Amino acid sequence: MIYLDYAATVPMLPEVLEAIHKAEEKYFANASALHTPGHLAMNEIEHARELLAKAINAEPSEIIFTSSASESNNTIIRTFSGHRIETSPIEHHSIIEVAQKSSGDKLPKLYSYMLANNEIGEIQDLSKIIEEAEKIPTPQHSELFEPKTEWGKPLVTDRRGAYLHSDLTQVLGKIPIDVKKLQLDYATFSAHKIGGPVGVGALYVKNGVPFTPLIIGGNQEHKRRGGTYNTIGIIGFGAALEEMLEKKTWEQYNTRIRNLRDKLAAEILQKIPGSSLNTNLEPGKSLPNILNASFRAAEGESIQLYLDAEGVIVSTGSACAAGDIKPSHVLMAKTGDAEVAHSSIRFSFGLDNTEKDVKTVMQVLPGIVKRLQEISTINMEEN
Amino acid sequence: MENQDWVYSDIVKEHFLHPKNYLMGDESKFDYDAVGIVGNPICGDQMKMYIKVKDDKIDDLRWKTYGCASAIASTSALSELAKGKTLDEALKIDAKDIDDYLGNLPKHKFHCSVLGHEALADAIKNYRER
Repeated sequence: MIYLDYAATVPMLPEVLEAIHKAEEKYFANASALHTPGHLAMNEIEHARELLAKAINAEPSEIIFTSSASESNNTIIRTFSGHRIETSPIEHHSIIEVAQKSSGDKLPKLYSYMLANNEIGEIQDLSKIIEEAEKIPTPQHSELFEPKTEWGKPLVTDRRGAYLHSDLTQVLGKIPIDVKKLQLDYATFSAHKIGGPVGVGALYVKNGVPFTPLIIGGNQEHKRRGGTYNTIGIIGFGAALEEMLEKKTWEQYNTRIRNLRDKLAAEILQKIPGSSLNTNLEPGKSLPNILNASFRAAEGESIQLYLDAEGVIVSTGSACAAGDIKPSHVLMAKTGDAEVAHSSIRFSFGLDNTEKDVKTVMQVLPGIVKRLQEISTINMEEN
Repeated sequence: MENQDWVYSDIVKEHFLHPKNYLMGDESKFDYDAVGIVGNPICGDQMKMYIKVKDDKIDDLRWKTYGCASAIASTSALSELAKGKTLDEALKIDAKDIDDYLGNLPKHKFHCSVLGHEALADAIKNYRER
């Protein structure tokens, strides 16, 4: 099997599996408990927290573990419920749909812009958003500024007219992250995009900015996220972070993986009539591991499943595959062309891919597309 | 559905991987009497059905589709169901017949991809109006 759907999920790394197996036996206790097994489990959680903090240049106290990137996104958007919320049209559904329901006209305002998109890999320029955010005046009164600690000290010390959240789920491990340089107040992460387990997400919440827990009813995460700790999952996340930091995976993505991606793109354009790219390959414009391409007159789900039958695993922005009636909102926002969206395939590379994989894809893909184009109702000759 | 390793049933897979009666390339390759069309590439699925009629029966037929796996499979299945039927019999084939033949498609697929019978009805209408 040639797996090219790493943007959807990365298979768990051997080091992660090993850490998880060990944790299942050793760190079974409720990490909130004061007894020794509980304390040992908590130590491991804190270790994972430190690793994520180190990876993004934050303080450990600024990291909150959640169940998923979607939960992280929901938490931040809902913190600003009733407030002005601005997002880009290429955000994940867990931003867009919640923002539509939650936004109002109060200040402070929240900007939520992902640094890199998951479908086409596009990197967004956040500097313009920061510039805009700085112009918004700080409101005199806001319920977001009011929460106090048990000792009566204000929790929100960083009072501003606008805050910036970025979903960094796809970015972690692909390009170096520095939340201070990016001037972020909030950021979202997910373990399974770097070879950790599914079911573990995280939030970066800058010290002193507004925050409202989504899940209340527990003291976990300093009352910022209730629910018994997913110790084993968090340990798995920690093991994946350790690998990421040790191997400096972003360097491999920027060289070897970028070359594979660019090679596949060049071959597709050269050998497949009617093909076009939805990803800008220019360095700095997209994540180095994502290639989104469209194949005129050939529908995406069919391409995906014919590739599947040949052992090549990819994803598509076609409506059919998503069980939806609309094609990818990202491709629609970017191209405005439903046919391009329905005919799109995303190839997303991981560190295990090799040049041989690109060769194998090119052995089967041109024939699949050609056959679909020949039985298509859309005439390739017409514009 | 529980133990199958593919998203669709085996019979859907078979019709998708080895579709029957499709028309490759230029449509003039098939000597047809009438053609019908349904759907729109904007919605993700479009089917065309080409029929050859003899003694008021569908003597032979071909199809083209721009669509997903279940669109390909359901159009292929329809072509097998319709072959040899009288025009009146062929007009009676509906989406449920195709779905039954394929062993039930996933619900969300049903409305968007099982459209071939409408293309066939359109072809028969065009044949009768010639």
